[in-house]
Amino acid sequence: MIAQLILNGLVTGAIVALPALALTLTFAILKFPNFAIGAMLTMGAYCGWMLNALFGLSLPAATALAAGAMAIVAVAVDKLVFTHLRDREGLTLLVASMGVAFVLENVCRFAFGNDARNLDIAVARPIRWHGLRVNHEQVITGGAVVACLLVLFVIVRFTPLGRAMRAVADNPSLAAARGIERNVVVAVAWCLVGILCALAGTLIALDRAIDPLMGWNYQINVFAAAILGGLGSLFGAVIGALVIGVVEELSTLVIPTNYRQAIAFAMIVILLLLRPQGLFGKVAIRK
Amino acid sequence: MTAYLVTILILASISAIVALGLNIQWGVAGLVNFGVVGFYSVGAYATAIVALGGGGAWGGLLAGVLASAVLSALIALLTVRLTDDYLAIVALGLAEVVRLVLLNEAWLTGGPLGISGIPRPFAGLVTEANYPVLLLGMILLALAATLLFAEALVRSPFGRALRAVRDDDTVAAALGKDALSLRIKAFAAGGAIIGLAGALHAFYITYIDPSQFTSIVTAYAFMAVIAGGRGSNIGLIIGAGSIMALLEATRFLKDFIPFLDGTKLAALRLAMIGAGIVLLLIFRPQGAMAEPRLSARASRPEAELKPDRLSERKVLPHAS
Repeated sequence: MIAQLILNGLVTGAIVALPALALTLTFAILKFPNFAIGAMLTMGAYCGWMLNALFGLSLPAATALAAGAMAIVAVAVDKLVFTHLRDREGLTLLVASMGVAFVLENVCRFAFGNDARNLDIAVARPIRWHGLRVNHEQVITGGAVVACLLVLFVIVRFTPLGRAMRAVADNPSLAAARGIERNVVVAVAWCLVGILCALAGTLIALDRAIDPLMGWNYQINVFAAAILGGLGSLFGAVIGALVIGVVEELSTLVIPTNYRQAIAFAMIVILLLLRPQGLFGKVAIRK
Repeated sequence: MTAYLVTILILASISAIVALGLNIQWGVAGLVNFGVVGFYSVGAYATAIVALGGGGAWGGLLAGVLASAVLSALIALLTVRLTDDYLAIVALGLAEVVRLVLLNEAWLTGGPLGISGIPRPFAGLVTEANYPVLLLGMILLALAATLLFAEALVRSPFGRALRAVRDDDTVAAALGKDALSLRIKAFAAGGAIIGLAGALHAFYITYIDPSQFTSIVTAYAFMAVIAGGRGSNIGLIIGAGSIMALLEATRFLKDFIPFLDGTKLAALRLAMIGAGIVLLLIFRPQGAMAEPRLSARASRPEAELKPDRLSERKVLPHAS
């Protein structure tokens, strides 16, 4: 029973890890929390659904195309909105990102209405393994997330692009002095954000229905994961997401399932009171 | 037609009161409250519960204001360890939790069905049909009182200290200002005003359920504050009024464009608000009217145009 809950928690946590990575990535490079992350997730899911259920593409193809589309959307949002606000204070960007969230979410609602939508996939029997019930969706999700994390790790750790991203995150002016083109790094980061959101959106859609509020319902969890991991730490965001997924599942043993969504909020509050820098973040410096 | 006009004026005035509350929090004190709707619904529900539980309409009103103020103070207290950036997500999370409580604690809130038959102040004085006009009068009075309070606050030493904390809390602290206590007071004062607006909402509709309290309340408030000019109360009233008029005008789009249904129209409105917020932040960050200032800075127009640069600072944990 508990092992089953932990497994389920790890899988939901793995999905949340993707947008949490996206959030922490933009935070590291652009220094503002992107409140449009939930709406980007929703839009990614709708893109995947549209290609899969309406145009009849296979799920991998639909996901890949959705990822490409969302990369373009994310870069476009940056070019249209955030570039113009680059030298403003963090709070302005934060409020602007909320404005972006309203636009993206309601573009989806305008196009497809409030009805729940489902991907066009065959329902398969769950696999039994040592008394655990494992859905096919969970296997796909686990595999996709691990693959995605590996690719991201290689990009950030070993490529010149990743080095440039880390340099800009660390010290933008120093990076600029060394001839790193900040705009390129920022555009690549937004591409990654779009891809991560589209992938997470489609993976969530595998498990449950798509509706305009879907990303919104994950927003608090995504932030909780990123804050738990220490906002700005990529590794931390993944661990944070897994921890929150597991805690949320286990919490159903002691509190009513209706309040599951409150767990992430409670974790943010406890963290802010006890360890505001998160598990893997450095101590904040006030300037 | 008169009834329609009264309705619009009531809704616009309630939105303006919410925006005045947010302006104290965000405009003056720099505390981003993405959970406006949470405090608004707490105000409405506390009013309804106390009013029906024997407190009467006035007791309910007081309870609504107090409940929202106390909750706001508690939330602001969380920023004791870190800065305001986190307040945004905490407030957003709180609004979600409030929604969960409203939906699930049926013994207190009536669950999805909500609470009906909320008593109204001075209900016996006029007929049911004429009551909205009386209520509009009261709401306009509340709006005027809130405006005077907010104006007095902005121009008071307390308001100046708040702006100092907003623009640079280290400098403010060095000058002996207790940043945390100022933040908590500002957030609670704004929360009280938002709670008042929630109470008026309860009196106007007399029937409240969770579906009335969606993020559009928060979106309206932010749009009004940005349109009016952060920190400027008069500009904000103009902003709230014009937004309401603009959004009400979209109602008539339905007559011209046949494929627009209720959902599409609601989506269109929210998307317009979102786009409006973004465009105003980019092209007119100072809003319709600039913040009133007593400082020498007012004579340096270039500083006024880019007020945000003054408060740029790095406050959160860095990437590892």
